[in-house]
Amino acid sequence: MNIRKIIVLFLAMSVLLMTACGNNSSEAPKENNFITDSKDSVVIAIGSEPETLDPTQGWGHGNSPIVQSTLVKYTADLTFENDLATDYKLSPDGLIWTFTIRDDAFFTDGEKVKASDIAFTLETAKTAQGSVDLTYMESAVAEDDTTVVVTLSKPTSIFLNTLASIGVVPEHVYDKNYGVNPIGSGPYRFVEWKPQEQILFTANENYYGDIPAIKNVTVVFMSEDAALAAVQAGEVDVAYSTATLGTTEVDGYHVEAIASADNRGFTLPVLPNEGKTTQSGAPIGNDVTCNLEIRQAIAYGIHRQQIADVVLNGFGRPAYSENDGMPWNNPEVVIETDVEYAQKLLDDAGWIDTDGDGIVEKNGLKAEFSCIYPSGDSVRQAIVAAVAEQVKALGIQINVEGTSWDEIMQRMFSDAVMMGWGSAIPNETYYLYRSDGALLDDFYNPEGYMSDVTDGYLDAAMEALTVEEANENWKKVQWDGTAGTAMRGECPWVWVVNLDHVTYVRDGLSIGNQPIHGHGHGLPLIQNLQEWSWESGGLL
Amino acid sequence: MNEALKRIFRIFFTYSIRTISLLLVVSAISFALVSASPMNPVQQYIIGLGTAVSPQQRAEIEDYWGVNEPPIERYFGWLSEVLHGNLGESAFYRRPVAAVIGERFWNSLALMLCAWLLSGVIGFGLGCVMGMYQDRWADKIIKKCCYILSSVPTFWLGLVFLLVFSVWLKWFPIGFSAPIGVRGEDVTFGQRLYHLILPAFTLGLASFSNIALHTRQKLIDVFNSEYVLFARARGEGKWTILCRHGLRNILFPALTLQFASFAELFGGSVMAENVFSYPGLGSAVSAAGLNGDVPLLLGITLFSVLFVSAGNMIANLLYGVINPQVRAFSAQNYGS
Repeated sequence: MNIRKIIVLFLAMSVLLMTACGNNSSEAPKENNFITDSKDSVVIAIGSEPETLDPTQGWGHGNSPIVQSTLVKYTADLTFENDLATDYKLSPDGLIWTFTIRDDAFFTDGEKVKASDIAFTLETAKTAQGSVDLTYMESAVAEDDTTVVVTLSKPTSIFLNTLASIGVVPEHVYDKNYGVNPIGSGPYRFVEWKPQEQILFTANENYYGDIPAIKNVTVVFMSEDAALAAVQAGEVDVAYSTATLGTTEVDGYHVEAIASADNRGFTLPVLPNEGKTTQSGAPIGNDVTCNLEIRQAIAYGIHRQQIADVVLNGFGRPAYSENDGMPWNNPEVVIETDVEYAQKLLDDAGWIDTDGDGIVEKNGLKAEFSCIYPSGDSVRQAIVAAVAEQVKALGIQINVEGTSWDEIMQRMFSDAVMMGWGSAIPNETYYLYRSDGALLDDFYNPEGYMSDVTDGYLDAAMEALTVEEANENWKKVQWDGTAGTAMRGECPWVWVVNLDHVTYVRDGLSIGNQPIHGHGHGLPLIQNLQEWSWESGGLL
Repeated sequence: MNEALKRIFRIFFTYSIRTISLLLVVSAISFALVSASPMNPVQQYIIGLGTAVSPQQRAEIEDYWGVNEPPIERYFGWLSEVLHGNLGESAFYRRPVAAVIGERFWNSLALMLCAWLLSGVIGFGLGCVMGMYQDRWADKIIKKCCYILSSVPTFWLGLVFLLVFSVWLKWFPIGFSAPIGVRGEDVTFGQRLYHLILPAFTLGLASFSNIALHTRQKLIDVFNSEYVLFARARGEGKWTILCRHGLRNILFPALTLQFASFAELFGGSVMAENVFSYPGLGSAVSAAGLNGDVPLLLGITLFSVLFVSAGNMIANLLYGVINPQVRAFSAQNYGS
């Protein structure tokens, strides 16, 4: 009898366990200490966790590092202003930069930021084998506490861009664990990092600049689906989302579509197929896309806004180059959709549909080629499928194929490839179009674009001594009035759309004037945290 | 007493040898698979940067990730490091693999242990009920539920629970192992438990049906046996029969299954942890996989092999405790 009781109890327990969970939870304490209802904190959900918070290893690259401060920093329109630096000079030969730094900046452990810390940061970053490219830097030396001299091996106009994303680390406490427990002199102080969960920041009250309005910042890492659920549950204030999920309306939140240079377009091999192969044995050239009229007909024949509306639910804008909206972008790259002009280009060159199969041909060669994309990337797939559908009207047949990166590496020199770039540093243009980089395995210039004119502008831009001079040359790369890499020029790329970075924001929170985002996911969002604030008018 | 110690030692010894050879084979196979995978970790990393990278810099990054050496050389290099107790450095997190695993393991262990106990208790309990009321309505309903739950993928169940309990009812948090915005040192045990419930429940529910259905079948066999017929003839009731004759006989296969389910549990936790943004080994392994972080992926793979074979060893040891027949049998046979 006794044992029977135990068994009954045992069975009852297992049932009870199921229901008990429900009861427990409804009584569970409301557990937020410094969140949602108070007006000086935010919780931000982003998809990708940084690997490290050490700027010399790549933290904050392309953005501002928040915890650390930089010598110079970007403004919202991506020009430069002084941050730690009070002044800088460049020698006439463009090789020696001399920076004077402010003497009222302190690390959060109380130590003063000295020129030696900056020299140490640059030297460490150079040898880190990470994302910071300082291969052109010869040395960085502190002359005294407030002067640092950097010697380059060649004039490099993007040096300022690089400096704007390398946060200064303190030499006196820097060690292997710095990346998980950073100390800096930036607007925020690092509090705690729980990997794959959250990072806590709090405002640095001793910051030499404006103390941020948002005092406590929690960045949580969740997939876009989980982030949307968190928005619906009201647990986060800001959440990074996608074009697909962003159409869900959530009470108390609005969706901000932040412009980005996160672009999608496809390369078109500009060389004919002459049976040549690359060093790794991949075939080079495509007899259809090597014709300028084919490339331009596609460029003029597609309705970019329509693709943005249909494929991206409106969370996208037409793209006309690799760097739309950046200070080094040439406005001349914009072209109007003109199907008649596209048709005329084909007709004039002798592409005519003679056999009535809907595809134009010339000398027996059909205007048909493959465009490949990495399978699994549904956005790229949908964009290229839409393009293929639209250019059918012109009599051009694009065969859309999803494949692996391995196969793309084999086929990208002879087929069109759907890709995406978009950087806050202009040297991307250099790698995309330089002749020396053509047909390398690094994905930048698989189409084989080579031009002495372009190379001249590229080198001039890279070696320019001022930002203005550099930008002038970057623009000429795209269009100098007669030629260029733009679609109205040589058209090695057909650019289609720039993806908006879709973000849920709780009503009442201002996320400031967001600079145009680069290709990265989530992190660009928090680079202007200092500007964020809650409206004093109260929450809706 | 001496006999029992000897038995434990023998099992331990044989298992160690087996585990070590298993580890070698698994590491070689996983290394081969990773090398054969079409993913290019360096390209993945560079795309993630969102900035242009010069060929010189790319070469440096490739050196860091070690993708230029031939796979076999890389494998032996890695193996000799592991034999020296160094699991290597996670290329993605830029920290030692052992540190990443150590950090995540306790979260995963708590999750898996809860889920394991839950599935064991529920599964065994419901299995007994089904077996005793064979073909009656209780049996039919529970059986249907078991079939449904065993066909539903863990992540889907997790998403549904997340939607119902976190978004609609707001009973449970949306994920993580601790409240959002609270420092690690301020997190209470209760809060941890509260965050554990939904993922553990999901994982437990997704895996209990197996054990419930096996227990049911075994109990039916027992009830059809001659000794139960004899017991019935003596006038014993159903419950008495279950306690006197059933439990010991059905516990044995249930225990085997339950300990053998460590592997499934580990697999399920990858799904559950991703759905609930729960920071354990499961979510680390998917991050490692997606980013082509070979050292971390291999480290966790080896660790999971250890974990699963430890489960099997415990099961073997427990057999002896439960069933004296095995004790006698293994004393004669082990080591031969």
